[in-house]
Amino acid sequence: MKTPVSVLRLPRGPDPNSRGFDPNSARFLALCPTTVSASSAADAHGVALRDEQRARSLLRERFLRSLLAMCGRPVRFSMYEKVQVEAKFGASDIDVLNFQVSDLQTPIGVQKEALLRCPDIITYNFEI
Amino acid sequence: MNPWRQKMPLEWQRYVNNEVKVVADEKRQYQGWVYTVDPVSASIVLVNPQEDGRAHVTVVMGHAVEKVELLQDGGEEIAQRLSSLFSPDGVQTVSREELQSKKGCLRAWLEKNRIPVTEEGEALCVAGVLRINPPYGSADCISSNEIILSRVQSLVESNPGIQG
Repeated sequence: MKTPVSVLRLPRGPDPNSRGFDPNSARFLALCPTTVSASSAADAHGVALRDEQRARSLLRERFLRSLLAMCGRPVRFSMYEKVQVEAKFGASDIDVLNFQVSDLQTPIGVQKEALLRCPDIITYNFEI
Repeated sequence: MNPWRQKMPLEWQRYVNNEVKVVADEKRQYQGWVYTVDPVSASIVLVNPQEDGRAHVTVVMGHAVEKVELLQDGGEEIAQRLSSLFSPDGVQTVSREELQSKKGCLRAWLEKNRIPVTEEGEALCVAGVLRINPPYGSADCISSNEIILSRVQSLVESNPGIQG
């Protein structure tokens, strides 16, 4: 069992928009612009819009289940610049922009609690 | 934003339960059965089932997807396998036939106890004031009348089940 070592972390200011889902928040506009908008063609017909929303909720529900299946398990993250780390998955935020993990194994030690930025991740994998 | 992220949910849904090959950033390639595509991040959840019943899951983040190639369509079997892999423990998917027989059994039991019951679509309607939705457990009874609710709930719990 590796001994946890303290790792220097850069300070982050508080998020001025506590509801990260606010479509007018700077964070949302910068990082995930059009994920919530429905297609313009679907505006014309209620049926098409309903089908699209049904598809959206089905897909999202399955994704949330995949996140749930990951909770508490060791997950391997492949990031850019050939960085590979392993950690115990904790939680994700609503926009899938940050992952909270524990016992993050890094080349300079084990970080007890950490936040991974999803734009830095290419893939992640785990066993169920 | 890459073309993959600009697709519509209905387009993403067409990949679900099918086998694909994903080419991602830094020349990585991944292959597997698509469990889902997250509509918020366009991340693809790929599953590779193993012989021992477990599975290896790889998720490619939407922003890193370069190309997605459809390899083969899945079938009912792989769809079932994927759904059951991620279902939480304790939740079972009940087949239509089982639901129908449960409904019939419960209805017969209620009628035996001289409770007026009719069928309203998938639900049972008791005395016009209580509904029993699938899967017809005591927790599935809905009514605004406490007395009838508790009576029917105890009846549902004491149902001896399908006879011989």
